[in-house]
Amino acid sequence: MSTPVLICDDSSFARKQMARALPSEWDVEVSFACDGLEGLEMIRAGKGDVVFLDLTMPNLDGYGVLETIQKENLNAMVIVVSGDIQPDAQARVQKLGAMDFIKKPIDQEKAVSILEKFGLL
Amino acid sequence: MTNQLITEDQRDCYQELSNVAMGQAADRLAQLLEAYIILPIPKINIIAPCDLHMALSGVDSEDKASSVCQGFIGSGIAGEALLIFNDTSFSDLASLMKYKGELDDQTQLELLMDVSSVLIGACIQGIGSQIDVSFSQSHPVVLGQHVSVANILQDEHTHWDQSLTVEIHYTIENMSVDCELLLLFTEDSIAKLNQRIDYLLD
Amino acid sequence: MSANNELVQLHSIMDVLKSIDVGLVILDQHYDVHLWNGFMESHSGLSPEEATGRSLFTLFPEIPEDWFISKAEPVFQLKSQAFTIWEQRPYLVKFKNNRPITGRSEFMYQNTSIIPIESPSPDVSFVCLVIYDVSDIAVGKQDLMLVNDELAELGRTDALTQLFNRGHWEKILEAEFEREKRYNNEATLIMLDIDHFKNVNDTYGHQAGDDVIRTLSSIIRQTARKSDICGRYGGEEFGIILPETPVDQAEIFAERLRKKVEAAVIPADNHELQITISSGLASFDPSFEDHTQWLEASDKALYQSKENGRNQYTLYKPQS
Repeated sequence: MSTPVLICDDSSFARKQMARALPSEWDVEVSFACDGLEGLEMIRAGKGDVVFLDLTMPNLDGYGVLETIQKENLNAMVIVVSGDIQPDAQARVQKLGAMDFIKKPIDQEKAVSILEKFGLL
Repeated sequence: MTNQLITEDQRDCYQELSNVAMGQAADRLAQLLEAYIILPIPKINIIAPCDLHMALSGVDSEDKASSVCQGFIGSGIAGEALLIFNDTSFSDLASLMKYKGELDDQTQLELLMDVSSVLIGACIQGIGSQIDVSFSQSHPVVLGQHVSVANILQDEHTHWDQSLTVEIHYTIENMSVDCELLLLFTEDSIAKLNQRIDYLLD
Repeated sequence: MSANNELVQLHSIMDVLKSIDVGLVILDQHYDVHLWNGFMESHSGLSPEEATGRSLFTLFPEIPEDWFISKAEPVFQLKSQAFTIWEQRPYLVKFKNNRPITGRSEFMYQNTSIIPIESPSPDVSFVCLVIYDVSDIAVGKQDLMLVNDELAELGRTDALTQLFNRGHWEKILEAEFEREKRYNNEATLIMLDIDHFKNVNDTYGHQAGDDVIRTLSSIIRQTARKSDICGRYGGEEFGIILPETPVDQAEIFAERLRKKVEAAVIPADNHELQITISSGLASFDPSFEDHTQWLEASDKALYQSKENGRNQYTLYKPQS
């Protein structure tokens, strides 16, 4: 049974890069969302067991998504993938329940090591 | 304001490249200042010289500001980085950088130079590393201290028609620090830039 | 590339390093010198043999160590480029001007770059310090700024008297007026002119007339306080704005000035002349609609002084 994976980022280029970084042997069903609101909808619809989440997005940013996931106790393992790599940003997302933080630009090596770390592969 | 010089996909790609680069720059600045930098979404545009002031949408043209510019070039791609600091930013910046003593013009200049070398350098290198270009930077030039932004951008001497611009408006949480980074790529560079990112878009 | 070609390239590079017009110094993480080019040798008098292996700070004690390290460390750590410009620090290294005779500055103004260098092994790091002579640019820019300042001054000053010219002084009066109106301050305006000045010109000539005006301006400037604003309003008419000054203090001022002028013996074109002045004082009144009314009031008082025999001051009394 494939794992539903959600890639949430306002940049179509970034979404493509993220998708390309996922290892091909991973059995997944990938969905895309272009802002936080759309992302939450898809998580609620069960499409985001694992979520790769950008921080800077219009309408609702990554922090907003994390807060809502915590509040509504949604089932989602969130890995933040962001260009905003300040130490404070990393600390904040960890506090909001993100499992980990990947610095952009993402590549397959990074993606694989994170997934292995959480036993997702 | 984007026209046929770049496609929507390319525009989106430039935005993402800038996003990553400015995140790296902000990270350096955040560590230097021990503060949290608020990052906006970078704005990508193609503009003509007369619209330069519009590219600085985050700055009021009547405000007094101080600014530094620096040219950069690599693999045939050239441009200029323009950093504009609202004068109101200096006292907060000085305390963040732990500068002691009077905040006179000399100290402000030193501050301007320190922050601009972090922001401009990191942004340009950040973009360069993503498109596999090694940019070399020319010496920073002080365009003016305490002049109105409108005066900084006098467009009488321009010899260009179009430029690809990246506008990033940095602010610091809980402080009145306001600075605008504008990267301007020359018209000739756009085709070469497009080539590089098309490679990434495939 | 053959070994021979490589050797030729190396020699060419060495030649360039010797003769190039910028300073090149390669430093390791302890800021010890590893490379010292011709420019550095010529200007410092130190040969590469004498400089290599020694600390930059020992060779040039004028470089503030902490400041330089704060600029250079990011280059070592982050492989970014760093720059200093002459406007923040006129020079990094104290070298004499490249043109010791015609050069306009005693020392060389410098821009510097600190650039990271690829190193052969990961635990060894080098940077290259590049020093550019920008003396001509710096001097040129300073000249330009001076000229601009002078031009600005010229636009505001009356050439003969060195007081503010009418245009500028009236602008200040306007601003002062707005200020008093907003903050309800006390201020007094004095308009004064030289009694029988036409006679001076007719009897002794315009040269003498000019001398008189110049001397009077001098007396006005000496008597006025730092905060008082003096301007030449007309040929022989002057205006003085006294901010934060209630009218009784202004009267004391006006009388002091009158006495000084009366007592002065003015050398004017081979003669010694004496003059007197008449003045009109008007206190700021919130009922004035704009600064011209304030001027008119003062002028009316001045006219009164003339009518009453000259060589005196009159206080403006509003018609009730």
